[in-house]
Amino acid sequence: MLDLRVPTGFYFSIVGVILVAMGVFAPSERAALTDSNVNLYCGLVMLAFGLGMLGLSRLSKHEDS
Amino acid sequence: MKLAVVDYAILAIYFGFVLGIGWRLKSKISTSGDFLTSGRSVPVWITSLAFLSANLGAQELVGMSGQGAKYGIMTAHFYWVGAIPAMIFVGLFMMPFYWASRARSVPEYLKLRFDEKTRALNALAFAVMTVFSSGISMYALGLLLHLILGWSFTTSVLCSAAIVLAYTFLGGLTSAIYNEVLQFFLIVMGFSPLAIMAVMKAGGWSGMAARLKTMTLPNGMNGDVMTHSWKYIAHTNQNPMGIEIFGLVAGLGFVLSFGYWCTNFLVIQRAMAANSASAARRTPVIAALPKMLLPFIIIVPGIAALALSQMALGYVLPMKDALTPDYDQVLTTLMAKFYPAGMLGIGLTGLMASFMSGMAGNVTAFNTVFTYDIYQAYIRPGKADHHYLTVAKVTTVAGVALSICCAYVAQHYNSIMDLLQLVFGFVNAPLFGTFVLGMFWKRTTGHGAFSGLLSGMLAAAATHGCTMAEGKGGWIVTLHTFPSTMAQNFWVAIVAFTVCTAVTIVVSLASKPRPESELTGLVYGFTELKHDEGVAWYKRPVPLAIAIGAVALFLNFWFA
Repeated sequence: MLDLRVPTGFYFSIVGVILVAMGVFAPSERAALTDSNVNLYCGLVMLAFGLGMLGLSRLSKHEDS
Repeated sequence: MKLAVVDYAILAIYFGFVLGIGWRLKSKISTSGDFLTSGRSVPVWITSLAFLSANLGAQELVGMSGQGAKYGIMTAHFYWVGAIPAMIFVGLFMMPFYWASRARSVPEYLKLRFDEKTRALNALAFAVMTVFSSGISMYALGLLLHLILGWSFTTSVLCSAAIVLAYTFLGGLTSAIYNEVLQFFLIVMGFSPLAIMAVMKAGGWSGMAARLKTMTLPNGMNGDVMTHSWKYIAHTNQNPMGIEIFGLVAGLGFVLSFGYWCTNFLVIQRAMAANSASAARRTPVIAALPKMLLPFIIIVPGIAALALSQMALGYVLPMKDALTPDYDQVLTTLMAKFYPAGMLGIGLTGLMASFMSGMAGNVTAFNTVFTYDIYQAYIRPGKADHHYLTVAKVTTVAGVALSICCAYVAQHYNSIMDLLQLVFGFVNAPLFGTFVLGMFWKRTTGHGAFSGLLSGMLAAAATHGCTMAEGKGGWIVTLHTFPSTMAQNFWVAIVAFTVCTAVTIVVSLASKPRPESELTGLVYGFTELKHDEGVAWYKRPVPLAIAIGAVALFLNFWFA
């Protein structure tokens, strides 16, 4: 069975990197009602989540073998 | 709302992943049937999230945030009074039974327990329900495309119909369970920042409550009702939902919620893929925990939107015409105000993904029920397999065409959730009565079930035809006017369930019972149920259910 944590991890890592890049290189990109760098913070959270998922799947694979 | 290149890129990456997962899984499992029946090897955390996610469509995202702006925190009753007790009930009492009887669909169970005519009637009703459900999603996706790309509503609906057809034919459903989990995370991460920012901007929960308290709602009530879930429940003219405690608890908490969760096989099937009977029982119970927290990301932004519209920030509620707000657009207009290019792409991906899987799920359910429970059973039995395969494909196209018609019906409601609950009242409410009697009372007969189901649906139609709410219903004669369509929906469900149950009992007693030897595995008491002893408490359904029930109770008191 395909370990779902792998595609989930990859997807959120990729998206996280894109958002962090947006937050760093285009920090002036803001929505009308907020002053915070939404892309940067959300990107960091997603990146952390994605890497966490990948880490978990590596860990359980390690235990299996 | 304008999209940037980065938003399109994020959308494209997601659909790349979905197709990739489908392709990877296809080489591992030969049929989707494999996945649901012999598979039975999916870990419990995945089945729980899929169980939750199969129900967490875009209808819920868009609909419930709209309900938040329309009815306030009372909308959370759909979760804390409705879904949570029903999910716990399904886990503790229905799952072991489904697991043992191994019925694969509701019509299949009705055929085994009762007879052909009951199955046929239910199959027809179910087909209508799936078409409406996918039509409502199609309407909402059309609305979204209209908002982003500026196309006319008709072009947008036709385009979303084409997307669904492509998605269904590409075999996107083989990987349905896996996609649903990915989608769940996408929704949580895509929408919780919106909830946090909207609430903070409106001054936190207390700031919101204070702001709403000084305003007058479109219906003339004081805004204080928007932040209390139980305080104004004593009388129908005190709260925006226009419902009193009996209608709420019996209509929503009992009939609609139990009816939905106990008989919706689209959802139940997710639990059946678990790797043991105990895991199948725990699936709905575990899923109840994230479910009860969803109001904070879905409903609360809707309430915040109402508060924000009072603050001279340039945010106004979207309007359908000069007087009626367009609640279905509350979520998307909030996104446009709070998300910059990039994060906007994530939010839209979450919406589009859940629209599509919701529609594809319903269209596929429609084609399965029509092809196997209607066409193969009654119109042309005994043909070769490839004949039915062709029919299934034609049915899919027909299902999409019918959904387009329903999308235009949905256009006439100012909140899709109002229409959806009405459809549930017609189909699920009487069915729930039939199911409960069939499962727990051995004396229930086929004739009883059939006449109960039929009169339940007719009673629902009569109630809707004789009562009026927000200009809906009353197509026979207006005997009573409800303050809101939701109150009308609750009463339609209560009447349908009561009539179905009463007629089933009376006709059953008058007709010949089935011999008990034929009821093994179909009725409680004739089914061997396994109990799990000697496992840690958090692996047993009952202690889990008690813990989760306590949290739900706490939420009810906290927001009372």
